[in-house]
Amino acid sequence: MGNHKNNRKGLLSGQMLLFEFRNTIGNPYVHIFGVGMPVLMMIIITRAVAGEMPEGPMLSAAVTSIFLGIGVLIPMATIFMGYAVSHAQELEKGIPQRLELFGIRIRVSLCNRILSEILFMAIAFIVYFAAGYGIVGVERPKALGAVLYMACILVLSVIFFCLAHAIASLLKKFGPAYCVTMVLYFLQMILGGMMGISYDNMPSLMQAAAKLLPVTYINRDFYTVWKGEHYNYVPMLQSYLLMGAVAGILLFVTLHKERRELH
Amino acid sequence: MLLSIQNLTVRYGADTVLSVKSPIEIAEGDRVGVIGSNGAGKTTLIKSILGLVPYQGMIKTELKPEQMAVHMQFNEYTDSMPVKYIMEAVLGTKISRDRKLQELISFFEFEDCLRKKYSKLSGGQKQRFTIIMVMMQGAELTFYDEVTSGLDFETRQKLVEKLAEWYQGREASFLMVSHYYEELDQLADKLLILDKGQVIDYGRREELFRKYCGRAVVIAGNTERNMTILSEFEKLDSPAHLIAVSCESEEKEKRIAKLLLENDINYKRSNNDIEMLYINAKAKAGIEGGENGAARESGETAGKGGKEKHGES
Repeated sequence: MGNHKNNRKGLLSGQMLLFEFRNTIGNPYVHIFGVGMPVLMMIIITRAVAGEMPEGPMLSAAVTSIFLGIGVLIPMATIFMGYAVSHAQELEKGIPQRLELFGIRIRVSLCNRILSEILFMAIAFIVYFAAGYGIVGVERPKALGAVLYMACILVLSVIFFCLAHAIASLLKKFGPAYCVTMVLYFLQMILGGMMGISYDNMPSLMQAAAKLLPVTYINRDFYTVWKGEHYNYVPMLQSYLLMGAVAGILLFVTLHKERRELH
Repeated sequence: MLLSIQNLTVRYGADTVLSVKSPIEIAEGDRVGVIGSNGAGKTTLIKSILGLVPYQGMIKTELKPEQMAVHMQFNEYTDSMPVKYIMEAVLGTKISRDRKLQELISFFEFEDCLRKKYSKLSGGQKQRFTIIMVMMQGAELTFYDEVTSGLDFETRQKLVEKLAEWYQGREASFLMVSHYYEELDQLADKLLILDKGQVIDYGRREELFRKYCGRAVVIAGNTERNMTILSEFEKLDSPAHLIAVSCESEEKEKRIAKLLLENDINYKRSNNDIEMLYINAKAKAGIEGGENGAARESGETAGKGGKEKHGES
């Protein structure tokens, strides 16, 4: 039998990317909670706020702030929950191991999957922004503000992806993975001030926990960044570093546990 | 030498599920059939060679785990897309541009399945889907773990015929786990016999047959009459419904055949029957099997059947 040379040389390949993208869009969860729900929540909440505030710059600022805050639900739903749940389901069926046995290394799967998840998230954001500008009248950003918002969402997405992969790989089952990610999803929403209690109204213990989460800063402060105003990035950066470190360690442990070797 | 296993021990918790004491070597071109009842350690052996389970001991090979191909007992794929896209992504190729892949798809009559999702494929189509991709890997060593398990007789037979046809004249080595002796009859030239995590024996089929059954065996139905006719000959272990007599010499074989013909008794003669080999290897190792020894002692009426399935794993 002549050896078949697999055309996949590097970490990324068009075919694997397309494969992972098909896999991503094949998960109905990401369409409902990653695209539909943020748009719906954004419209409902901004309409509720508009009903209680007079027309003017204050309302426009509030609507934009809510819009930017709810935007963080997109990576949380598509990547953090969506990928964790779909990966756990695949693990239950032994699909990742089956692909690995075909010579597709874990890091190849991971690289293509993260890119496909980000691609899907970008599409979800396009829909979200189209709804934001078309329906609720979001304020235009300063160029730097928009770039920083995108960068923060992108970095957070990568962290969420690492966390989701680690949680699914460590728990290995759909049920527990769904439960843990759902709890963390709502915990971030509550502590991030998206469930009715703003950061300022939280008890001190909750505030201490909220300060550790990037979503708190995106929800609470990003209007300032969006408008290009002066902002102290240090606390937000620290929260990113902390969450990134946790995600990195968990991912490392997971990959170490999953490695195959002969001796 | 492709692979050599020495002093291998695999434990699941406190239980030792596989222990290989004498070295096992797989050379280029070897086609190894692995037989043994449930819990014998067959799948564990494959998993340890592939680095999927922790083990103690040594598995020496120049091949990296990803350079070996495997058809596991259960193979699952995403259901988000038609299998065509899975195949192309896994193999890093396009069906329309890959002649070898086209040839394999056509050989395994899989063309009409390419547009279907994995869950919509039948059992046989699912097996063929994985086999095509496993074969496309062109690995020097391929593992087939109960490749026909769960398939009906006809599909099973057809699949094995296809495999045998494909491997004919090719140099590739493989290790195939199966409960169906007739599959290994067609495909294996070496046998690894496992039982309860221990290796009973490993070697070339014909050598093992000689060792445990002699030059040839004559097999007849286990009836009282047959038992009486063959009473002067020492019996081998055999399934309860059969009587098996070892023929150490051509003269003895002729004598038995003449006796059976004179008495108009149906019989079968074999010099490579895997089932007989397996039963007698187990018996010699002192392992009690359900069918072992039954025919030697009893004169019960023979049932129908023969070399069929002996269990699931």
